[in-house]
Amino acid sequence: MPAFLRNLTYEGVPVWRHARIVQWTIQIVSGVAAVALVLWFVANIGLAIDSRNIPFGFGFLDTEYQTPIGEHFIPYDPSNSYLYALIVAAVNTLVIAVFGIILATILGILIGVARLSSNWLVAKLALAYVEFFRNVPLLVQLLFWFFIILALPPVREGIVLLDAFYVNNSGISLPGPSGIGNGAILGIWMALAIAGIAGGVYVSRRLAERELKLGGVAHPLLTGWAVAIAVIVGSWLILSVVTGMSPIEWSVPGPEGRFGRIAGGITLRAGMLVVLIGLVMYTAAFIAEIVRAGIQSVGKGQVEAGRALGLTPMGALRSVIFPQALRVIIPPLISQYLNLTKNSSLGGAVGFPELTGVGITMTQREPAISIFILIMLSYLAMSLTWSLIGNLYNRYISFERSR
Amino acid sequence: MTTKQTNETGPAPALPPPILDRGAVGWAHANLFNNKFNASLTIVVGIALVFALWFAIRWVFFEADWAVVANVGGRFLIGNYNSDQACPGNDCFWRPQVSLMMVTFLMGMGWGVAGSKLMRNLALITVGACVLLAFIPYSAERMGMDVRLLLVANVASMAAGWALARYTRFGTVKWVVIFSVVVFVLSLLVLQGASFLGIQTVDSRQWSGLQLNLILALAGIVLSLPIGILLALGRRSHLPVVKWLCVVFIEVFRGVPLITLLFMSQHLVPLAFPATFPRNDLFNAGVVITLFSSAYMAENIRGGLQALHPGQAEAARALGLASWQTTLFISLPQAIRNVIPAIVGQFISLFKDTSLVYIIGMLDIVNIARKAVEGRVEFQGSAPEIFLFVGIVFWIFTYTMSYVSQRIERNLGVGQR
Repeated sequence: MPAFLRNLTYEGVPVWRHARIVQWTIQIVSGVAAVALVLWFVANIGLAIDSRNIPFGFGFLDTEYQTPIGEHFIPYDPSNSYLYALIVAAVNTLVIAVFGIILATILGILIGVARLSSNWLVAKLALAYVEFFRNVPLLVQLLFWFFIILALPPVREGIVLLDAFYVNNSGISLPGPSGIGNGAILGIWMALAIAGIAGGVYVSRRLAERELKLGGVAHPLLTGWAVAIAVIVGSWLILSVVTGMSPIEWSVPGPEGRFGRIAGGITLRAGMLVVLIGLVMYTAAFIAEIVRAGIQSVGKGQVEAGRALGLTPMGALRSVIFPQALRVIIPPLISQYLNLTKNSSLGGAVGFPELTGVGITMTQREPAISIFILIMLSYLAMSLTWSLIGNLYNRYISFERSR
Repeated sequence: MTTKQTNETGPAPALPPPILDRGAVGWAHANLFNNKFNASLTIVVGIALVFALWFAIRWVFFEADWAVVANVGGRFLIGNYNSDQACPGNDCFWRPQVSLMMVTFLMGMGWGVAGSKLMRNLALITVGACVLLAFIPYSAERMGMDVRLLLVANVASMAAGWALARYTRFGTVKWVVIFSVVVFVLSLLVLQGASFLGIQTVDSRQWSGLQLNLILALAGIVLSLPIGILLALGRRSHLPVVKWLCVVFIEVFRGVPLITLLFMSQHLVPLAFPATFPRNDLFNAGVVITLFSSAYMAENIRGGLQALHPGQAEAARALGLASWQTTLFISLPQAIRNVIPAIVGQFISLFKDTSLVYIIGMLDIVNIARKAVEGRVEFQGSAPEIFLFVGIVFWIFTYTMSYVSQRIERNLGVGQR
């Protein structure tokens, strides 16, 4: 080492060993390097946009999109603007994400519990499910389902069940509500339904108390559900028979027009069906593993203690294991929800017009870079929302722990 | 009159266990019919399973038309690499095969060094698959004798690797790592070709098929781990500038879908470099996949670092280790050991994610499959067959990875110390 470097000291310490100086140097160098790199990229991009005639800009957002969007959950017309079309696509992404998350959670919990079943056959089947669906790329699964649905018979030769359920290669149609019937009756029914649910909860609480006090099996949850469902269904039937009017108008799908297109009812179109099936089956495999790990993280003694107190196996699972396992389950579960939201971006490849799919279509006429900057920002917003939820939950459980 | 004397003293011989506890019946009683609920579950699930198997077997053997898979054949593996467009004269088939031979050489070396059953089985199964492929009953013009011989030659290359590891001083982990790097670079060079050596170059846009997925995945796996470690350390650093740079990088790359990043890699990244830079779409896609994966890797490793007891680092510092030594020799090895499942899970998902290059128009194995059925009348109804086949190909690789990770975990004694 040259002499002048050796003599270069600060506070009696050679500068290259002085912690504060070294740390500041690292920070300044890395900060400057990062800023310089980004500036260089931005400068190059700016130069390219100017000199290589690369289209860029956001002026197109106000102009008419003039392209139909196959599936939309808010009103849409080809004469709407690009910006509005992007919002329609974002709503599609959100709808698929919400339904996908609900269904994947249900399926995932079922399979996760089945993985730990004492029934050998069920446990092995669940294992096979997880190992297969987790290890095959989602895109391949989506394309597989896409072509399976495509192989269904066309609309006119489609499968019809009970003259009300139609299955064909454009989707599945089933009866559904189409509007509000008599408002007053709907109001009465809803009030009765809420009362029924409250009654069910009350009955179930009382029975649970009785079980604790007197022992024996009183089936609190089952009875509660039965009471609630009986009131909801019974009041519906009585109201519609007595008044002769239905609280909600129903629409039954049926063939319509020259081409026999199925109209009315609720139609799950092929694209959405494929994305939903693919995303749910794929994500459920991951959720199942998270649920299994969560349940296994609860000590064996907890189950045994629960059983010793007289809980049924299901009761022990519900009131002893699950509440404790949730702490382990929820953080990775939220990251799976985020993954599902992001994975819905593959929908475009199988004909479901979500954000990325619509974006790719738009790039045929308008600047790709601008469109994708907007799309990436939208996804970033969704992701940050999910991480916010995750952080809030983490804070919540750490508060509980510190209490 | 003689009577048999039965009242001998001592315990009676033990009776055999009841029939319900013995053999197959005992097993079924304990595992399938141990209570009312499980018994009914077994019956319902069993009936459903029999029906499902019946339909599956009928479909696989009688209804499905597997001709489409045979029709694509070798193109699943190398895609358009040997097509007229990529390689005039169609004599480039040996180059992917030489790369494959280098890989089997490495596997032989790995077996020789580790000497474990696991490595032996991996090497033998791989080479066995190559040999089996050599005997596929294609016609001579579809699959020439040279192709078949080169496939069988994998046996020799694996044996050479094994012998090198066993009988020379190259039989150490260090040399396996060095050879791996050399092989990776060398196989890229072989695939690329070099005109000054008299080997015609093949444009990287023509690299396709499973080969493309494997190249992207291998590059990503090799590079995303070190980048991820650096990012994780950066995020835990107490230097605010370094920390926030890493946080922003990780959150942005984790916050958007890989497809949008891949799309940008084709539209924006080429613009970010001066026009004189050579443009290589494959390289750009590979970089984006690697960075995407390293952001996830960083979070996994950060989890491992967070789970470490602070006493470990304090003890190391107290013993006089510098902070870089503490990180490198104390914290990181333990942190990584604890998150092996997560790391391998990320490798698996990286391999699966290579299929997304399909969306930006690259000819990976998924795109090859799609092109094989789309717009071809004779294979119109065969799409489920071909995608099932592609799914199984992916599954073989990913499942092997997860199996190996479980074995490594067991050997390192994770969760037992």
